[in-house]
Amino acid sequence: MPAGDAFTPEQLYDIERAVRHAEEASGLHFSVYVGGADSETRPFALELLNELDDPDNTVLVYVDPAGRRLEIVTGALAKRQLSDTAAGLAALAMQTSFATGDLTGGLVTGVQQLGTHAHQAPLLHANEPHKQ
Amino acid sequence: MITEVSGHTLLVFVGIPALVIAVVALLVFAPSIANGPRYRPGLSWWAPPVWINGPTATKPDPANLPELPGAPGTTASAGAGVARSTGGASASW
Repeated sequence: MPAGDAFTPEQLYDIERAVRHAEEASGLHFSVYVGGADSETRPFALELLNELDDPDNTVLVYVDPAGRRLEIVTGALAKRQLSDTAAGLAALAMQTSFATGDLTGGLVTGVQQLGTHAHQAPLLHANEPHKQ
Repeated sequence: MITEVSGHTLLVFVGIPALVIAVVALLVFAPSIANGPRYRPGLSWWAPPVWINGPTATKPDPANLPELPGAPGTTASAGAGVARSTGGASASW
């Protein structure tokens, strides 16, 4: 295989935009890592999550293209907002794209879906005192 | 009877077909040349790791932190965060 970057600048921009939109919609942090794992994928993904600034409120998407493995890890607080079932649905969508070789499309779709599932409706007038 | 092949004949019967073949080949391979190597499941992965929205600042390694004088018995555990309860999903393709 020839050497090169995993994504073109345009593809990177698309993924970053999806991450930004997901963060705005959900209020959580999103992080995407694409690369090989030093060990088993799940423990490696957990290590990556713990390296982040706010792991409890973060959703990490880890993709191992060589091992053909995908891990979505939700932090201790983020998992209250994003259920394992919702993460599984997003994983399914990403898996379909990855199987056809479309890494970028899968990541964009998956992150968008995660952000939508984690979306919380705004609480109107929550900080105002109750008036009789 | 062998007739001599003129330059004009060569141009019409060899040059033009060769040019057409070259143009078609270029049109076929141009997208993959422009986009670079494409990920193909099952083949080896060639690119260095990419971390989008990764850690902004490097956290201090607990092993390198100076020991506090008032707490001789306490030791920092690097894996404490790993034990936190997390959720998520896995998949393979």
